[in-house]
Amino acid sequence: MEERQYDLIFILRPDTPESEIDKVIATLEHAATEKGGKIEKTEKWGRKRMAYRVARLREGYYVYMILKSDHGEVVKELERRLKVADAVIKYLTVRIDEELKRQEKFKRHRERRAARRPRKTVPAAGAPGDQAAATA
Amino acid sequence: MAENEPQQQAPPPAASGATSSGQGAPAGAPMGGQGHSGGFGGRPGGPRPQGGPRPPGGPKRGKRNFVRKKKVCRFCVEKIDLIDYKKAEILSPFIQDRGRVLPRRMTGTCARHQRWLTVAIKRAQNIALLPFAAEL
Repeated sequence: MEERQYDLIFILRPDTPESEIDKVIATLEHAATEKGGKIEKTEKWGRKRMAYRVARLREGYYVYMILKSDHGEVVKELERRLKVADAVIKYLTVRIDEELKRQEKFKRHRERRAARRPRKTVPAAGAPGDQAAATA
Repeated sequence: MAENEPQQQAPPPAASGATSSGQGAPAGAPMGGQGHSGGFGGRPGGPRPQGGPRPPGGPKRGKRNFVRKKKVCRFCVEKIDLIDYKKAEILSPFIQDRGRVLPRRMTGTCARHQRWLTVAIKRAQNIALLPFAAEL
């Protein structure tokens, strides 16, 4: 199976010590590699105000990860671990490789169009172009 | 600034129409010839001035005498191929205070981008970047 890419965001209690946060991240990385996945990137967004209250808290410590794997087992395992971890109050996993692919497609399409278009737009950009802009 | 645009675009015309009697009239008068307002506002607006306190609004009948500005899809203008659910500040102008997704007719978003937008908003809501409902 081709490789899939996931976004993994989780929120920790805001009073979690830094060492604890690193520990959670380390366990996730370990679990991912064990199951044959790979965590490409880890970003600590830090304390952020949440849009609504979660576990009676208004703030949370956000951590964002990019996960690559070729099957869904890794996600299952990571979500299980997030569920078990006490400091984690919320998490979300989203598969994004298909959307990234779509984005690539549109980007290529746009570039192709842009490369083809100049011939048409150059004459229009002269005197009539100004008029068109004024009337529009 | 730019984020608030779609919301602001809608209210001003509506507000001037509702409070029209004094201030709205001069501004609205020159636009009386607009096809849309003439057809729609003509009959229902007719009987009302007799009872209502709006003598100065002579040439202007009905309350729909505003020029509707052509709205364009902001995502198309900025050539965005992927609406990132992680950027709450991009999504926030497209929701109501209560957390509902604003309809296309209010924001001017094109069909394709609206489709992506709703998905992005729903994801952001799930990870507490955007509200589901107003705070208590």
